[in-house]
Amino acid sequence: MTTVNFFSINREIYWGLFIALYFFYTGMSAGSFILTSLGGVFGIEKYKKIAKTGVILAIVLLAFAPVHLIIHLAQPGRFLTLLYRINLTSPMSWGVYLLLLYPLVLIIYAWFLFRQDMVRGLDKGGFKASVYRFLLFGKTDMSEAAKENDRKKQKLFGTVGVPLALLVHGYTGFILGVVEARAIWYTPLMPFIFLMSAMVSGTGLFAIVLLLVEKFKFGKINEDIKLLIADIANLMKWFIFADAILMIVYFITLWYSGETSYAAAYYFLYKETGSFLGIEIGVGLLLPFIIVFSKKGRQSITAVVIASIMTIIGVLFMRINFVVGGQRIPLTNGQIPEFAVPGWEVGAIVAIAAAAVAVLAFIYSIMPMNRPGVEEKTAKTNSNAKEVAR
Amino acid sequence: MGKRYAMLIDLRKCVGCHACTVACKSENNVPLGVFRSWVEEQEKGKFPNVSRLRLPRLCNQCENPPCVKVCPVKATYPLQDGEIIVNYDRCIGCGFCISACPYDARFINQERRTAEKCTYCNDRLAAGLQPACVNTCVSGARVFGDINDPNSEISKLIASKPTTVSKPELNTRPQTYYIGADEKALRPNLLEIIESGILEKAGGEK
Repeated sequence: MTTVNFFSINREIYWGLFIALYFFYTGMSAGSFILTSLGGVFGIEKYKKIAKTGVILAIVLLAFAPVHLIIHLAQPGRFLTLLYRINLTSPMSWGVYLLLLYPLVLIIYAWFLFRQDMVRGLDKGGFKASVYRFLLFGKTDMSEAAKENDRKKQKLFGTVGVPLALLVHGYTGFILGVVEARAIWYTPLMPFIFLMSAMVSGTGLFAIVLLLVEKFKFGKINEDIKLLIADIANLMKWFIFADAILMIVYFITLWYSGETSYAAAYYFLYKETGSFLGIEIGVGLLLPFIIVFSKKGRQSITAVVIASIMTIIGVLFMRINFVVGGQRIPLTNGQIPEFAVPGWEVGAIVAIAAAAVAVLAFIYSIMPMNRPGVEEKTAKTNSNAKEVAR
Repeated sequence: MGKRYAMLIDLRKCVGCHACTVACKSENNVPLGVFRSWVEEQEKGKFPNVSRLRLPRLCNQCENPPCVKVCPVKATYPLQDGEIIVNYDRCIGCGFCISACPYDARFINQERRTAEKCTYCNDRLAAGLQPACVNTCVSGARVFGDINDPNSEISKLIASKPTTVSKPELNTRPQTYYIGADEKALRPNLLEIIESGILEKAGGEK
């Protein structure tokens, strides 16, 4: 029996790009931290040298992620309420404390990671040295006992950081996963889907950032970093594989579920074909998987960078598809809600991204990124090199 | 046992005049474009065998409300009488309740800049009046009262007539009861929307 809707109200999609972008940022933060903690925490030696790059990336991304949420609030001035009026049944309430605790642990971890290099940088003088002096809080002890303490504390805070990274992104999965009203969100797989796509995009972004940091700090990409990039690409392959498996499993069960779930799957596959199958799955998972599947692809820096960019775009679309697409499926009779992005939202998102890049570049340029075997390119070493050349 | 307010809408009496929508807007000063209470209308069948389906909707004041569970600052909560209210001084406007409500009952009031919804005209109840939509209904289709009182009109009707609620499978235990509601009106006809391509006509593409 056919029915025709001819009177209903228009609904607004209230969770738009800001929420999707928040998930995107926390995801990349958690992903890149977990990847770079493989060295210190899980004892995989070759990853130890990239721990510094990773922890800075994770901290800066996480610092900018909640800005999206606060701007999005209808009452941004009341966001502090979240700190003292807690509702234990609300995942958003869990997140508030995770979003405070996680960067705090990361900053302490980073401090122990950088301490010895900052002490070494003190005698170089200039602006950097004064920054280091401030950051060191007078802890300039370079005895063996102090170094041992650094190692222990790195291990401790790194180990605490990993489950926190999992939680800080897992909880965002619950923000969507507890909403029974929206069929596409309401699944126990949601935290895992979010975590796997976080690993994919975090790995992708980290590979690019690592190459940039190496290039600008040391002037060249060393052999060991090239090998490491190939190794990261190999991990990316498995993350993409796991992410794709979760998606396939999820959509198969959706297809055989109740009316709302089926309709949601149908909507994603047939009505959002371009952004779901095309960009999220095709560009974001399938093409990068093909690139990093072959050993040749993994060993080519260009190929890995292209694959990384594609995974980042794909995961960005995944966040938007799930957040916005989930709300486009009607809950009561009537039309599909329209989704329009106001210009100021795009402007704000670009501005936040630009600020994040600027802060990242500043921190990378000022912090001692030395790792065993490679010295930072400074005026002094440059003049030394010139003398040697003469 | 305290009071438990609920509403029953007898669709056999509803004429589809939308007076409830208007009364609600005027009583609660609801901004343009958003509604606390509204009437959905559909046409079922093909000419000459057609009928008109009407479904007045409002907040179901659920007994197990998803909006209350997800509010991160406890700005929305049930009163003792069962109606769920929004504390406008606490609400931060995150929109979690709007996403979590299966009945589209919530929205952001862009003038007050907080979430808002039907509260059974809480202020009128306090003054001993009926909600505005009940008061204004031309055919007496809306019955409002205390379902904990077995002698109230609403209790008698629920006890003696077959009633339905919207989306009972979600375990929200909604408290807006309907007499004579068509199954097609109580939930969106998603499959039909897909099959008939209304989705595309309604701007399904981004």
